[in-house]
Amino acid sequence: MDLRINDIQPITMHVDLNSCYAIIEQQANPLIRNKPVGVAAYDSPGGFIIASSYEAKRLGIKLMRIREAREICKDIIIMMPDPEKYFDAHRRFKAVLESYTNEVTPKSVDEFVVNFAGSRALQTGKSLINVGYQIKRDIKKSLGNYVTVNIGIGPNRFLAKIAAGMDKPDGLDVIQPQDIWNVYGQMDLLDLPGINYRYRARLNLAGIYTPLDFLEAPMFKLKKEVFKSIVGYYWYLRLRGYEVDGETFKTKSFGNDYAVGKKTSDPDEVSRLVMKLCEKTGRRLRHHDYQAQGISLWLSFENGTWWGKSKRTKSLIYSTQDIYLSAVRLLRMVDFPAKVTHIHLAVFDVVPATPIQLGLFDGTRLDTKSLARASDKINDRYGEFTVVPATMANMQDIIIKRVPFGSVRDI
Amino acid sequence: MREKIDQEVSVVMYYSARKQVAQPHTISWQNKEYTIKEIGYKHSIKDGDTLHHIFELTVNEADLWMRLNFDTSNLHWKLEVVSDGLAN
Repeated sequence: MDLRINDIQPITMHVDLNSCYAIIEQQANPLIRNKPVGVAAYDSPGGFIIASSYEAKRLGIKLMRIREAREICKDIIIMMPDPEKYFDAHRRFKAVLESYTNEVTPKSVDEFVVNFAGSRALQTGKSLINVGYQIKRDIKKSLGNYVTVNIGIGPNRFLAKIAAGMDKPDGLDVIQPQDIWNVYGQMDLLDLPGINYRYRARLNLAGIYTPLDFLEAPMFKLKKEVFKSIVGYYWYLRLRGYEVDGETFKTKSFGNDYAVGKKTSDPDEVSRLVMKLCEKTGRRLRHHDYQAQGISLWLSFENGTWWGKSKRTKSLIYSTQDIYLSAVRLLRMVDFPAKVTHIHLAVFDVVPATPIQLGLFDGTRLDTKSLARASDKINDRYGEFTVVPATMANMQDIIIKRVPFGSVRDI
Repeated sequence: MREKIDQEVSVVMYYSARKQVAQPHTISWQNKEYTIKEIGYKHSIKDGDTLHHIFELTVNEADLWMRLNFDTSNLHWKLEVVSDGLAN
């Protein structure tokens, strides 16, 4: 039997900051407001624009290289990212939302989901639309007058996110259960959050070409034929307004990326860069009081090829030296076909670091842990990279802090 | 165009108890005085134990944006970057 559309009152709100990094830069610098602005990882012509202002987006400048953007608009203003400022904006943004309810879930630096079930605002009989407009005003007060947000309200997170994207920039839209048919009727499959090209191809193979086809597809078809897993059942519920995205997943890994500015195929130079990634990853791992049971290393090369390997470790890894020794073992397997352009290092299968569990064959590992904790304390007090392993000498500015996509656990 | 300056500058600052606001009022740089027109954004960063207040602002005397850093460990001000708001 088909499941009906969930006809609950829409009480889930999705709030996202318009063109987040670019608009915060425009807020900070009134001289670049109402102008095309791009925030790029590097300011060289090959640097990639990771966020663009609405003025730039209107010209067609989205995720692209600076040289391509300059072909469209030679006067585009390129800024380097200022992560600390974006983190500050994230915290202020969150504080505004938490003044309405405790049920605030950050989805990324610039996106939040707010569940208003049982909130004081609703108990006092306020409409969620009025609450939404009040949030917009509060955000302007907290972050600045130039900052705007999109707000979407829906029966579940999925529909709230769709609603937030309906009227950009500075929109506020509600999807009621009875609107679902009409909303899906105006969208393509790729407009649905979570549907990428691969999923679209799968859906197309099963004769599903539009969101309405998707909505009308029977549950068994999605589960057995399209997704071949429980994922199909989740989509069946999600499309009908039932909440399936509320679960918070526990941390499984910590990793860091680095797009190599000065490309190199010198193994010693790559090893030094890997060391710095190990230190950054180790700092995060220890800050969250975890240790890991595996490591993975990925390298991308200038000729378009890549190399990657993951390995479980025999003992738990905790200190930067532990991570580095495991990483170097992987690095020794690499045959460099060209210069390295990108390095990704991660530790996985993390488990809580306390209480300390000593292994029979760990030797002086307790000392390594104590040393790691002591050097973290010094770096906390005197600044990052005050105490570093000798391999990292004179590398202070080589791997700079980057803005995170998705995860906000370190903010 | 943005230009990195990284020079210590003289700053007159005021604090309003009523508004609970503390911010720079006048900046002396290269023998010129600039009064603050608009604080675009203010945030704080920590370098180890040291707290720095970062003010991004425009001034009345020129089409100029400035990024000022107030180091709370020694109460010194540094002009870090200036920009005329045009492309590089």
